Amino acid sequence: MINDKFYSRLQDVVGERNITRTPAILDTYAFQWGYEIESAQRGDEPSRFGQRPDAVVLPTTTEEVQTIVKICNEFKVTFKPFSTGMGPWAGVSEPGAIQIDLRRMNRIVEVDPNNLYVVVEPYVTNSELQAELFQYGLMHHAQGAGPQTSPLASHTSFVGPGFTSPYTGFSGRNLLGAEWVAPNGEILRLGSYEHTGKWFTGDGPGFSLRGVIRGWMGAYGGLGVFTKAAIKLYSYPAPKDWTWNISGTIPKYEWEVPKYWKLIVLNFQEWEQYESAFYEVSDHDVVMMATTSSSEGLAALFTDTKMEAIEVIFGGLLARTRRYFIVLIAAHTEREYNYRVKLIRTIMKKYEGEDLIEEGFISPRSAHYAETIRNMLGGHAFRFSNCFQSTHGGMDTVAMAVKLAQVNQPIKSKYIEKGVIGDDRGEGIWTTTYEGGHMAHLEVPTVYDGASKESCLGYAEYQDECNDVDLKQAYGMPFFIVGDKVHDYYASRTMDYPKYLRRIKAAFDPNGISDSSHYVSAKNKSNE
Amino acid sequence: MTLENYEEMMDGCVRCSKCKFLPQLQIKSKRFSHICPSIEYFNFHAYSGGGRMIMANALQKGRIEFTPEMLDVLYSCTNCGGCEVSCKWVYDLEPNEVIHELRVKAVESGAGPLPKHKKYIELVERYQNPYGEPSEKRPAWIEDDIKLDEDSNTIFFVGCTAAYRREEIALSTAKVLNAGNENFRILGTDEFCCGSPVYRVGDREKAIEIMKSNVELFKSKGVERIITSCSGCFNMLRTEYPRYVETSFEVVHISQLLETMLSDGRLKLTNEVPMKVTYHDPCHLGRMSEPYEPYEGEKVEILSQVYMWDPPKPERLGAGGIYDPPRNVLKQIPGIELIEMERICEYSYCCGAGGGVKAGFPDFALWTATERVQEAEETGAKGIVSVCPFCSTNIRDSLDYRESEMEYFDLTELVLMSLEGGE
Repeated sequence: MINDKFYSRLQDVVGERNITRTPAILDTYAFQWGYEIESAQRGDEPSRFGQRPDAVVLPTTTEEVQTIVKICNEFKVTFKPFSTGMGPWAGVSEPGAIQIDLRRMNRIVEVDPNNLYVVVEPYVTNSELQAELFQYGLMHHAQGAGPQTSPLASHTSFVGPGFTSPYTGFSGRNLLGAEWVAPNGEILRLGSYEHTGKWFTGDGPGFSLRGVIRGWMGAYGGLGVFTKAAIKLYSYPAPKDWTWNISGTIPKYEWEVPKYWKLIVLNFQEWEQYESAFYEVSDHDVVMMATTSSSEGLAALFTDTKMEAIEVIFGGLLARTRRYFIVLIAAHTEREYNYRVKLIRTIMKKYEGEDLIEEGFISPRSAHYAETIRNMLGGHAFRFSNCFQSTHGGMDTVAMAVKLAQVNQPIKSKYIEKGVIGDDRGEGIWTTTYEGGHMAHLEVPTVYDGASKESCLGYAEYQDECNDVDLKQAYGMPFFIVGDKVHDYYASRTMDYPKYLRRIKAAFDPNGISDSSHYVSAKNKSNE
Repeated sequence: MTLENYEEMMDGCVRCSKCKFLPQLQIKSKRFSHICPSIEYFNFHAYSGGGRMIMANALQKGRIEFTPEMLDVLYSCTNCGGCEVSCKWVYDLEPNEVIHELRVKAVESGAGPLPKHKKYIELVERYQNPYGEPSEKRPAWIEDDIKLDEDSNTIFFVGCTAAYRREEIALSTAKVLNAGNENFRILGTDEFCCGSPVYRVGDREKAIEIMKSNVELFKSKGVERIITSCSGCFNMLRTEYPRYVETSFEVVHISQLLETMLSDGRLKLTNEVPMKVTYHDPCHLGRMSEPYEPYEGEKVEILSQVYMWDPPKPERLGAGGIYDPPRNVLKQIPGIELIEMERICEYSYCCGAGGGVKAGFPDFALWTATERVQEAEETGAKGIVSVCPFCSTNIRDSLDYRESEMEYFDLTELVLMSLEGGE
């Protein structure tokens, strides 16, 4: 338990109103989606309740965060920061730790439309930022976690693929600078967010601290506190007089789709055709979205309720869908639009594909276009069961994504037959390409019952098998549910990288108080 | 239902925080992106819809118990239902229902409600209204020229707030009904609180007693149709009563009736009322008034790990509230220009008064109303219009507090101004 002196010191920083140790309030910080898997793996009943923090503080400035971190160092108390705070990595993992809830740090500090970057604080959400950027004709990369989550958290601390990844890349790619309260309490301003804030490179000056603070994967909140992030911006392809105009009543909203936008679902008979077409589409760099799921996933994306999705699945989509990917063409001009549509149709014909929208098997409404750009489509997966997680997550080529999808199908089917995970015939995947090139991401969203120990353990076993395949057949790192054990699992075939992560951790966190449950600890805990 | 019945649902929360914001497609600016006043004011996660659901779950699992601090969190919620609209768009969860059930449990266990709530519940029992006013004063708002039809089977259920605190709304409602030749009577000194303030803070047992007593009263008086000018009363009589007691009367809100009277020509609006106005949707007329359809069924596994309700469960998403009638009436008043705020209809922002908050947490209530008033001011409108005496009180308090140049109007007051020979 934290002592009164420590609590009093924190209270002096944030004020009485912004600190609590009321158990009922603290318990709401002990509950996270994904804990049920971790608890089942420990042999406990699956539960979304995990470790309760001893206190929660709500700072509002970087200086307050710095003082809190220094006090934690002084008293050797572990801390865990979070922004919007969704997922098992958000909560504290050890008894006696405190949670730094950053929701009062919610300012858009600066929009620089000429140099194409924005500086945000932790609790600015994707949808809030997007709404403000549209007035400049700009957009940012929003990670797949959803419109209500924090772009700062993803850009500084996670991989962060999203539905617009073919256009905007992934989160780590878009971090141009950061203000960082290191675990020892030092404030560092990196990249474009150096003290004048007016030059913009994600790296330097000097050696790249972007690699230190996040690398490809991010530290999942285990390496201090990020209080500001400079994020790259992109042109938003819509006419200058276009505004975000949404009408209707829930759940049937209608949206004013920008004039030169079009969704196409390219369906091919075989993986080979799919792969070739996917490569060609990526080569030409003409789409805002290029993504694959299962029949069930496609139905979920472009319907508004679970019942509607079920009706679409069994109304013909299941029988018709083979290997498909969805593209969103979002052009600035009529000429650009016509060229892109013609090109996509040419590629589709070349590989004997068909458009499932044109064929009438799925019918996205205008609101689904809005959900695409607002990065909401991933949330539709929750409509089936309120619960899913992803295995795999490697980032490599389109070819590797295709191969991994094929390799995973029989593995997933085995667990479906056991009745422990959702039945998508093993076909359920999620892929996206990145930045109009050959780079692609594949993860495998998998439905399970969070209230069933059997299902949670079954999912965990399935995840371990997926990790094993990733390692032994070199399909890349999984990007969810990390920590010492998973990092060390991959060490032998990946130049023992955790050894270097631990050096970083030890250098910046000498007292080991920045909760490392989903990063690495300075001392190799998985070997203990 | 009991809290135990909600445990599986509570376990299903993924703590995504969508309950804190408007339905995500409706976010048009950072400034007005939020739906939940409580989390905005208090900031700790426990003060959100999802947070309270986790708190209820923790209590159900024996991890925590009722304490004064926990009750403060539980009761600093206006029960506006905004969290549930945003959540249900994606998830099969009902945070607002859980919050209410937790309040019921607090009362049943002897911990709740808060002392200020207990005080006004006592007043309701003793004086038939939460203000402690004598019954004889209830019809004091009536002026001599109001025509009542004692043979009518339609009553104007005035409600405690309009009768004792916002008499001008009671009066303008009666006048427009007269103007439209709508025959009605009132219950006068016999009218009893609808039970809303008792029900909202979780004293369900007493609230059901009031419902039964009122239903008997309506029967004994031959009431077949009830007109309300109060959104809280409307919500209770139309939406909550049928969940607990058998009812045999129709309930109409004055905004619905005005729309009908205009469309069938009984009311003619001729006087110019040159004003830009914006309209505030009361939660209890909007998303919270959507009826509950009786349902009996079970969850069946239709695909592995995918469950559906059999038979299909009616969805209560917030779309079935009363949104168009007041707007349609406003649009027919000559000279009125309606400018909408960003947060409207099913994703409207609460005025801050409901759920026992005005009594229990007046500072928070005033802060919330001020948020709403600022949003109204940003439209450039000069008038803020609504159709609820309780919203009226809180919004007026904020207008005074801010020394705002905006004026508050009940819809009936504007209609009255526009009537030929009107005021």
